[in-house]
Amino acid sequence: MGLAVLLFALLALLVLGVPVAMALLAASLLTFLVLDVDLVVGVQRLASGINVFSLMAIPFFVFAGDLMYRAGIAERLVRVADAALGRTRGGLGQVNVGASMMFGAVSGSAVASVSALGSALMPMMAKKGYDPDYAVNVTCTAAILGLIIPPSHNMIIYTASAGIGVSIGDLFLAGVLPGILAGSMLAMTAWLVARRRNYPRGEFPGWYAFLRALLAAIPGLVSALIIIVGIVGGVFTPTESAAVAVAYTVLVAVFGYRSLGLKGFGLAVTGAVRTTAMVMLIIGSAAVFGWALAVLEGPSQLAELVGRMTDSPVLVLLIVIVILLLLGTFMDMAPLIIITTPIFLPLVMAFGMDPVHFGIVLMLALGIGLVTPPVGSVLFVGSAIGKIRIEEAVRTIWPFYLALLAALLLIAYIPAISLTLPGLLS
Amino acid sequence: MTEPTLAQEAFTDGLLASWSRRVSLACLWLAGTGLVLMSLIILWQVFARYVLNASPAWSEQLALYLLVWTVLLAAAASVREQYHIRITALEQRVAEAPRRGMRLATHAVTAVMGICLVVFGSELVVALWAYPIPTLGLPRGSAFACMPLAGILFVAYSLEHSLALLKRRRVRPAWD
Repeated sequence: MGLAVLLFALLALLVLGVPVAMALLAASLLTFLVLDVDLVVGVQRLASGINVFSLMAIPFFVFAGDLMYRAGIAERLVRVADAALGRTRGGLGQVNVGASMMFGAVSGSAVASVSALGSALMPMMAKKGYDPDYAVNVTCTAAILGLIIPPSHNMIIYTASAGIGVSIGDLFLAGVLPGILAGSMLAMTAWLVARRRNYPRGEFPGWYAFLRALLAAIPGLVSALIIIVGIVGGVFTPTESAAVAVAYTVLVAVFGYRSLGLKGFGLAVTGAVRTTAMVMLIIGSAAVFGWALAVLEGPSQLAELVGRMTDSPVLVLLIVIVILLLLGTFMDMAPLIIITTPIFLPLVMAFGMDPVHFGIVLMLALGIGLVTPPVGSVLFVGSAIGKIRIEEAVRTIWPFYLALLAALLLIAYIPAISLTLPGLLS
Repeated sequence: MTEPTLAQEAFTDGLLASWSRRVSLACLWLAGTGLVLMSLIILWQVFARYVLNASPAWSEQLALYLLVWTVLLAAAASVREQYHIRITALEQRVAEAPRRGMRLATHAVTAVMGICLVVFGSELVVALWAYPIPTLGLPRGSAFACMPLAGILFVAYSLEHSLALLKRRRVRPAWD
């Protein structure tokens, strides 16, 4: 009864259009009323859900990524990728994927990636005769690589929602190979489509130009290295590493690239505050929701239900992936991580899956949802920058969806792709 | 979060609207300052540990204190600025009249949550006031005093949006 109230109220409020944080809180408090639990407990859970040191890494990572973006890192990464990959058939497609992978190492936000690289690359692609739908398809699907290429603040949201001490360092390392795999598959798709549409080749600008471009981009890329090495090597906690990344980014932007003024800094602060408020209030509300869910033994009931249907781990994972993909089509990533992790993680763990491995699968599955209609923030932003309607972009996007789905299935069913690096290095 | 059919309508104005903007801006400024201070505190913690060989005892607690205030103040302003993420799939597919009804209902839910924050948040603050935060000495309750405060703003801003909706106007964003 309590469980039905909780889930039905949440669903109804979400569909009505209530902000996700308020819907989680309201559904939980309503359930508390039904269960005769003191509502102060709810507010206390909300407070203690936000009052967590490791979560402070989220505003810092968002802040650092936003600073890097405003410092103009995207154009520098595009120059490197162009020098390295531009000479193939439809080279700008490859450039796009390559630049997105590097951008993913600087910022964990797919929306930032599509807006930064889209504004830099789409005009270039249009000038060289690439169709706008192709430009939008490549940029949008490549943007989600940043979600699994470390560092990624969404992974911190995942570890916080998992609540069983999943190591951030392991998760960061686990994302590297899947990120490269998914990136290669997108690059291959981009090449195949480009060949069929007979897009032009670029020219190799020479080693000197390549090295110059690389040198200019390295200071930006080093921030990712500081974070990953710092965390994995035990030098910093994730929160500390994120704060160091903020300071490093400010130094690079102000003194290295000389491209960040007081105005840009202010915009980065407000941008980070805005994302922080949105994400952290959902995290706090989800803590209340998670508590209600746990009291009602929701996850174990689900595991029992699924267990009665099948005892095949392969099938269970497939069901979970399909549900995540479906949910991802109409809901945004951060709230979905927070809501689905406490429900599905215990389930897949009961069937023997590693929580680090599941984290990567979750990131990619929900990331794909960001480029699918009806609700896909990355697709929306990408189409807006490419100046085409979403319907036009989606009509020709299916080869890229297929590439991402294939990568997702490979990553889901071959744990070694995710778990080898953390096994070796931590 | 665009509202296609309301787009052509005017913003609300008047003394209350301008104060509401100011309070929202103040919240965003305070939250921004909180974020920068938090970064500096944690940087100091790293610097002190590796360079001065002495980890400050207060840094984590103080940064956490700021985090809770930053999040709640910014979340309150975000109610006014409509930054809170929500699903608009159904809303965009219904006619004007039911859409207005739905929007009023969502503001009502937010307002009720605000009331809960005021009532039960105050209770929490009072209950925890006697307990000091280790290493800071401040009352634990004061860290959560931002909750009833944010609750008041949740209510006020939901009311502002509801009134604007009834008058077929929009709330002018404080920050764009």
